[in-house]
Amino acid sequence: MAYAFLLDMSRCIGCEACVVACKSGNQLPVDRQYIKLIEHTSGTFPDLTGGFQNHRCYHCADATCVAVCPTGALFKEDGLTRLNRDACSGCGYCVQSCPYEVPVMSDGRSSKCDACASNVGAGGSPWCVTTCPAQALKYGDRDEILAEAKERVVALKDRYPKAQVYGETQAGGLGLILVLPDDPETLDIPADPPATPVVVDAWKEVVQPLSMGATVLAAAGAGVLGIIARRNHMAELREVDDKKKAGVTAGDSDTEEV
Amino acid sequence: MTDTNGDQQILRYRSRQRIVHAVMASSFLILLITGLALVWGPLAFLAAGGWSRYLHRIAAVGFMSVPFLYLILDRSGAKEVLGESFKYDRDDVSWFRYMYRYALGRTAEMPPQGRLNAGQKLHHSAVIVFSAVIVISGLVLWFLKADLSPTMLAWTAIIHDLAMLVLTLLLVGHVFFTYVYTAWSSMATGYVSKDDMEMEHSKWVEELEHEGAEGPSA
Repeated sequence: MAYAFLLDMSRCIGCEACVVACKSGNQLPVDRQYIKLIEHTSGTFPDLTGGFQNHRCYHCADATCVAVCPTGALFKEDGLTRLNRDACSGCGYCVQSCPYEVPVMSDGRSSKCDACASNVGAGGSPWCVTTCPAQALKYGDRDEILAEAKERVVALKDRYPKAQVYGETQAGGLGLILVLPDDPETLDIPADPPATPVVVDAWKEVVQPLSMGATVLAAAGAGVLGIIARRNHMAELREVDDKKKAGVTAGDSDTEEV
Repeated sequence: MTDTNGDQQILRYRSRQRIVHAVMASSFLILLITGLALVWGPLAFLAAGGWSRYLHRIAAVGFMSVPFLYLILDRSGAKEVLGESFKYDRDDVSWFRYMYRYALGRTAEMPPQGRLNAGQKLHHSAVIVFSAVIVISGLVLWFLKADLSPTMLAWTAIIHDLAMLVLTLLLVGHVFFTYVYTAWSSMATGYVSKDDMEMEHSKWVEELEHEGAEGPSA
């Protein structure tokens, strides 16, 4: 079953309660946080409009970070993108390849939201969802979350004609469904993030397994052939040796005949 | 010099050449294992925390130092191996035609060979070319990683991986021929049996005898 977050940006008041709850709930050290609120304003004073970008992992189904991760520290589970920091080698490929620029390096390893895997696994809810005072956040079955997002958008259309659901199809379908009052670009969110390049999959799914297979086959073949070939060569050496001994010490009865 | 069986021994690799070989071999093996940690799941635990990545870089510096080390320790040897490895004569060309026999441990009807046989020349030149490829792609991954798009990152990694595949296959072949032709001593002590050399590198033995010496002095 796939789970997802609902993040209703028409309700987000930018209070940062989710940031705090995430940080304290996950016991993150000072330099780490999984959610960042970025304020966007446009227009010229006094005609200013603005909103908040609740920047956090989008949990892409087609997650480029998972595709490039060499150690499997990043992986998909229940429709969400998890991170096992113990397995992270700190190569930083995920930092570079995320279309949303979410993962960062912290203490030599990747750092990003893992949808409160341990808390949810123990029957709880993600910390950000538990604490949101504006009902902007929800967590549950992705189909239900998506349906609710669509309902909320319908209700918003009167006031925000450009209101829309974001995340149904982006990056293969996100595990973070956004309700946006305006176009995603107004909050610096790419309308259509680039898909995982084919060459990334080719690298991990074709080149590497084939290389491993070819090496193992070659080593095994060389092992078998090596035993045969060495036997041949030894026979050849004995022949030469015999000839030499026969030449040098002709008639020597001690010469061992092979 | 003779061994315990009374077989005559000749010096094939000077001690400084063997040092260069040891540096190259050990750094290559470290690079192979620490690299595999990012390729093969069961070895991924080596990469956790990133220490294998640091070891990879340290070994990379050792690997990259090999040509310079060779030039410093044994200038003439380095020049010799470079010069010989890319030069093939008529015997070398016909050696390739009968290569399968050599791979089966049969030297009897092989065309006469010089200090390096045609296969060793090809091995050397391939090692030089693919080492250059792996060093350049490795330096890009090391220093320019932050400037690469996911596509360019994957392409660079593919080039790096495939160059290592070729070098690893060359290593398999290298170990194979070392085993078949009991050549370990050439890198362990530097000396090899003269009988063996007469079978496998007859032109070189002639050359040595022509020079009136049993081999270059250590």
